[in-house]
Parts: sequence; structure tokens; C-alpha cells
Amino acid sequence: MSTRDSQVDKHLEALFGGLDTAPDFDARLMARLRAESHTDVAERAIRTRQQERLRYRKAQLELQSWRGSMLRLLTLDTLGIAFFLVVAIVTAWPHLNRDVPDLSRQYVAYIGTLLGVLVAVVPLVGTWLERTRGPVSLR
Amino acid sequence: MLTDARLMEFVRAQRHDEAIALLLPAFRRKVFGLAYSFLRNREAAEDVTQDVFIKVWRALPGFDGRASLSTWIYTIARNASLSALRARRPQSSLSDPEVMDAVDAIDTAAPAESTVERAALLRLVDQLPTKQRQVIMLFYMEEQSHEEVATMLAMPVGTVKTLLHRARARLSAAAGN
Repeated sequence: MSTRDSQVDKHLEALFGGLDTAPDFDARLMARLRAESHTDVAERAIRTRQQERLRYRKAQLELQSWRGSMLRLLTLDTLGIAFFLVVAIVTAWPHLNRDVPDLSRQYVAYIGTLLGVLVAVVPLVGTWLERTRGPVSLR
Repeated sequence: MLTDARLMEFVRAQRHDEAIALLLPAFRRKVFGLAYSFLRNREAAEDVTQDVFIKVWRALPGFDGRASLSTWIYTIARNASLSALRARRPQSSLSDPEVMDAVDAIDTAAPAESTVERAALLRLVDQLPTKQRQVIMLFYMEEQSHEEVATMLAMPVGTVKTLLHRARARLSAAAGN
């Protein structure tokens, strides 16, 4: 079906057989590749610098966020302790004048337990609130 | 000789420039021919061929050898040619004077044909349906096999044979052979 023996075949071979690129094609291509290679290196350096800058900003934001959460925890702790002290004083005050030693003996277990629970729970609640706030995002 | 395995050695060793130097002699004319069969303009085909090798060079780190090397390169070449074809307006034809000059310039080694005969044949090829014209050009360009032309154009071998047969019959009839 496709043997190359006719006159048309010969003409076609003569027409398209020598079809090729210009002689300087390879040299031009290699020059372009070298240029691309240099551009590539420069682009990579810029990209790396940008990534480093982003990483630094992210780390800074995380640090600020950590400081903030610590402050919030301390504030919550302080509030909890203050609340406990107010409750304790208000509860204890009417009996205080009558018999302070008896009272302290009567409530010391409750007071100790409450203080322990508050000290344990407040940081946990603070941490949970911090986690549910979502990740730090860069603008 | 270039084999996919040998190329993969260079790719794995990150020696992409050497890989391209290996690819060029094996694929330059084929890619150029493929681009030329789409664009019918020598300069545009050369530009596309350059772009194809740049794309191949860039994509080499990701070449995993799952597809055959030739299939991969021809796919890039076809896509680049089609993009260039879409971008080019108005489209030139094989029988344009500039194309004739280009063919004369590249065909010095071929047997002497008068410019008139050459122009007439080019005009006939130009009038063929696109697929037939592409098959004719690629088949006669570098003594390509049917299989190679089929891979280049992403067609079944049977289709290439049929297209080639029809194109030759049409050209023979038109040329009065």
C-alpha cells in the first residue's frame, strides 16, 4: 500500500526528505537552556528568600499567640482564685467572729478541694479555648 | 544509542543538560517535522521545536518513565504546535512563496527539481485534507515508518496507512501519474 516506487514518491521524498532545522538550531537552543538555567537559579533564590520571610513571620505570630494565651491563662487563673477567695470570705465571714478555729477546721477540706479543682481546671479550660480558636493564619 | 533507560539514568542523576544533549539528535528533526506538519511555516516550526525542548528540559525532573519517551515528547510537541497554530493568524500555506523559499533552502541535497514542478506538487499537498497532508509530510520527511508516524500523530497504524494510501492516490491522480 505504501511502497515508495512511483514518481510521486520520488518527488515527495525530494521535497520533504531534507526538511530540517537551521544549522545553528542546537547552539541557539543550548544558549536558551543556559539562560533558562540562570533564570531558574535566580527564581529559586527569590522563592527561598520569600519562603524564609514567611516562615519567620509565621514563627513570630505563633510566638505572639503563645504569649497571649499564657497571659489569658494567667488572667483566668487569677480570676478563678479571686472568685474562690471572695466566695470563701463571704461564706466564712458570718461565722468568723464566733469561732474561727472551729470554722477553719470545718471547711478546710472543702476549701482545699475547691482550690485544687480550680487550679487544675482553669488551665485546661484555657488550653481548650485556645485550641478551638483555629490555627494562626498569615494575611 | 538513546534508550529510555539511558535517559532515565541522566534524569535520576539530575544531569538534565546531558539528557537534552542526548535527546536533541534523536528527536530534533522529528519534532520539527511534526511542528511543521501542523504550522506549515519553517520559522514558526523552529520556534515551536525550541519551545518543545525547553518544555522537555523543564519537565525532565518529573519524567518517571511510565510513558515511553517518544510518546511523551510527541505529546508535548503536538500540544505546543496546536497552541502555536491557534495563536497564528492568518495561516500560511505550503505553497506560499516564503514557504517555497524555505523548502528550497532546506532541500539543497535533494535531486534537482524545477521550481515550477516543486510549487505544483506543494500546492497539491497543500490541498490535501489536514490529516492526509500531515501523514504525507512526516512519512516522506525522514523515511519514517508507519508506526513512527502513528506515534507522532497519536493515531492507529491502520489509520496512517489508509490516510497515506488515499493521499498518494490523490496526488498521483492530480499529477497525472
